[in-house]
Amino acid sequence: MSMITDEVYDRFKAALEAVAGKCYRTTKADLGKAVVKALKEDYGYTDACLAETPLLKEAGVLEALKGDGITTYTDHIRLHQETAKGGITESQYAIADLGSIVQTGTEVDRRIVACLSELMICVVKGSNVIAEWSDFFDTIGALPEHPNFVGIVTGPSRTSDIEMVSVVGVHGPLNLTAIVVEDE
Amino acid sequence: MATQEELKKANDKLNQEVKIALANITLNKTLGKMCGDYPAKRAKANIGIDFEANKEKLVAAKEDAANNVDEMIELFTKNATARGAKVFRAKSNQEAMDFILKFCEDRNAKLVVKSKSMASEEIHMNEVLEDHGIDVFGADLGDFILQLDHNTPMHLVLPALYLNRDQVGDLFTDFQKHEVSHKIEDETKEARKIMRDKFIRCDVGFSGSNCAIAETGTVCTMTNEGNGRMVATLPTHHLYLFGIEKFVRRFKDAEYVFRVLPRNGTGQRITAYLSMYTGTNQVVMDKETDKKADKEFQIVILDTPERRSVLADPDFRKVFNCIRCGGCQDMCPAFALVGGHAFGSRVYGGGIGVMLTQFLIDPVRADAIQNICLQCGRCLDVCPVGMPIPDMIMILRERKAKANPSSVQRFAIETVNNRKLFHSMLRIASVAQSPFTKGEPMIRHLPMFLSNLTVGRSLPAVAPVPFRDIFPTIVQNVKEPKGKIAIFAGCLLDFVYTDLARDVVLDLNSIGYVVDMPMDQGCCGSPAITMGDPDNAVEAARNNIEAMHAEDYDYIVSACPSCTEELRKYETFFEEGTEEYKKAKELSEKSYDFCKLFYMLGGLQDSGNDTPMKITYHDSCHLSRALGVTEEQRALLTHTNGVELTEMFEHDNCCGFGGAYCIQYPEISQKILEKKINNIKDTGADYVIVDCPGCMMQITGGVDAAGLPVKVKHTAQVIAEKRGLV
Repeated sequence: MSMITDEVYDRFKAALEAVAGKCYRTTKADLGKAVVKALKEDYGYTDACLAETPLLKEAGVLEALKGDGITTYTDHIRLHQETAKGGITESQYAIADLGSIVQTGTEVDRRIVACLSELMICVVKGSNVIAEWSDFFDTIGALPEHPNFVGIVTGPSRTSDIEMVSVVGVHGPLNLTAIVVEDE
Repeated sequence: MATQEELKKANDKLNQEVKIALANITLNKTLGKMCGDYPAKRAKANIGIDFEANKEKLVAAKEDAANNVDEMIELFTKNATARGAKVFRAKSNQEAMDFILKFCEDRNAKLVVKSKSMASEEIHMNEVLEDHGIDVFGADLGDFILQLDHNTPMHLVLPALYLNRDQVGDLFTDFQKHEVSHKIEDETKEARKIMRDKFIRCDVGFSGSNCAIAETGTVCTMTNEGNGRMVATLPTHHLYLFGIEKFVRRFKDAEYVFRVLPRNGTGQRITAYLSMYTGTNQVVMDKETDKKADKEFQIVILDTPERRSVLADPDFRKVFNCIRCGGCQDMCPAFALVGGHAFGSRVYGGGIGVMLTQFLIDPVRADAIQNICLQCGRCLDVCPVGMPIPDMIMILRERKAKANPSSVQRFAIETVNNRKLFHSMLRIASVAQSPFTKGEPMIRHLPMFLSNLTVGRSLPAVAPVPFRDIFPTIVQNVKEPKGKIAIFAGCLLDFVYTDLARDVVLDLNSIGYVVDMPMDQGCCGSPAITMGDPDNAVEAARNNIEAMHAEDYDYIVSACPSCTEELRKYETFFEEGTEEYKKAKELSEKSYDFCKLFYMLGGLQDSGNDTPMKITYHDSCHLSRALGVTEEQRALLTHTNGVELTEMFEHDNCCGFGGAYCIQYPEISQKILEKKINNIKDTGADYVIVDCPGCMMQITGGVDAAGLPVKVKHTAQVIAEKRGLV
């Protein structure tokens, strides 16, 4: 597994920030702390749904959140995400050029977290950050089975439907934070 | 075929809609700003993108799918079904609607939430479901606003742009039965609240598609708001509708579609959400128990006779390549003024909207709205698939004229083609016009029913002596001529702008060329083409091929880009290999616009008197787009001593003349002109240089009506004056 280069990370960060997203870089050891910061310090939220993945489990994200007094739901996410502010999960890829995170796979909890939360916190492994748009298509195209779902998410939801005035935060999350984790 | 009465009714309705649109201050402001900002926004989003390379790949992908549509349907159905989707191929709009209605009724659906689907508008889905007691909500903010306003989309991407925040606020207040603030942020928050409830409670989610991939059985939906993801993730039943024109074959092909769709559609490098669904996906069946299962994913493919008729028509097959980006709407000077309610049908608007309306919605409506196209070609600058929109509209126009020849138009064309009669009429007009000119060089007011022709624009008077009578008196001092050039004057140079024609001759003399004027030349035939009468255009071509004797000259020069474009097309009117074709080809290949020819023949010099001359430049549609001449004239002008060029905003946008257009739609023409005059004014220039006599007429008239002390000149005139040739 190759690490994410500074160049690719900087590109990703710049592109995501350009669409009103936030971006952090951390290690697996500090991931729990980074998630807590992204939720509580940045936005003052104290509850969240967490759609777990092996990485999030290994990094002890749930423990870190609970340890900081954050009410965290790891099941019944469909129910709880209607009211919980934060939505946390890991995305399978990211596209540096556009500042996008990419969810693949049918697991619904991860998708609910990306839809219903007010703040989506998305963790992604550095080695899963793909540099270019065309490379992304090649990567997905080369998978042994085409995923049931591929969702490219670039920043929070937005619209300009009224008088062409851009408003961030419509049906999907009002905010999006990506946390890039250095691979070991 | 539509009857004359149906067509007249459609035209009258359209004229009313145009009037309403032009009077809508909100529309003027929002749409005007959007279209004004669009080119720069799009250019910024395209930094680093090889648009032409993507166009090649995208067109290849779309054409492959269109040429193999049955295979696409079969492949897609097999692959989507293998992954748990259900696919129904609807052979008509009615069949699709019946299926969708039954689907909802069989599941006791009381609430359907729609993310966005133009195809659903085509089949009147909202109305049909509502009539059967099923609530439908368009979740896209624009769609929701339209629903509340009981109206149809005004724009492909921003459908409710014709309403301002106050009007939206009132609609929300009415719907919510409590006061909703008129601040846009608050309105959006309110929409979020309203829709969140609908997303969570709905029985059936409904989506449209931007692109369907046959090899993987994948459908793709692109949004900014998140409404697409909501309806795909929350309800346990998901209906998905798209037409057969949405196919591509491979997953990789979607790369080309989505590289340009957002950049052209909204000036974004990518929208907030792009979702690709292959077969079914997991949903939560019951939020209390958290039970999960695969949702019911029902795809409906619209494979209708209307869509097949597009494929069957060789002139219009290309319509299947359209990716619905809306770029043609955003670039169109007429659309920027009247929007999609006027320049469109209840579903589709703008340039491509004419074709989509013709084939998929209502051909009578298409007959009317196609007139709004100015034929300026600005849409061609941005289309990601190179759709020849103006040409396609022209073909529709020709078909309409053949089916319903207007006696007035035929008379006009036949008169123009009868050279002797036309020229006599113009000579008579020159004398008879004196009550209107009142001794001035401009006609400022025409009486009664013609009066709207002079609103915002004065007309030039017909010249007292036509150029064909002046020409023999011009002394051409050319020692050791390098060659002989024939001048094709064209109607406006012959009968109005005679000084310009004279300057063309003297300019060419100054670089060593003798100029001749074959006197039997007549109208180039361009007006006949514009009015959809190609037969008379061919007659005009025959006359000029005979008259111009191209074999006797090195070049043929014209200072009217419409004429030049027409002359260069003559060879296409005749069968290859024939005598006529050979003669036409010789004439076509020798015909050049003055600016290009003068530059080509060594006319570029650092010369001219040093008198300061602050200029700006208007790019004529025909010269810049059809003939591709934009740099030669700028070089000629900026190398002339004393000349200082300041480019105006939207220098490449139409002046509103459009040939017969300014007579058919004088209100639209006048508003386009108004924008142009303001752009000229903003540069602070004393002169606007214009290399098309049609544009010269329009802009001179506009400048005069606005009382601006700006002079209008052709590059040929600047050269002649600055180099002391006149």
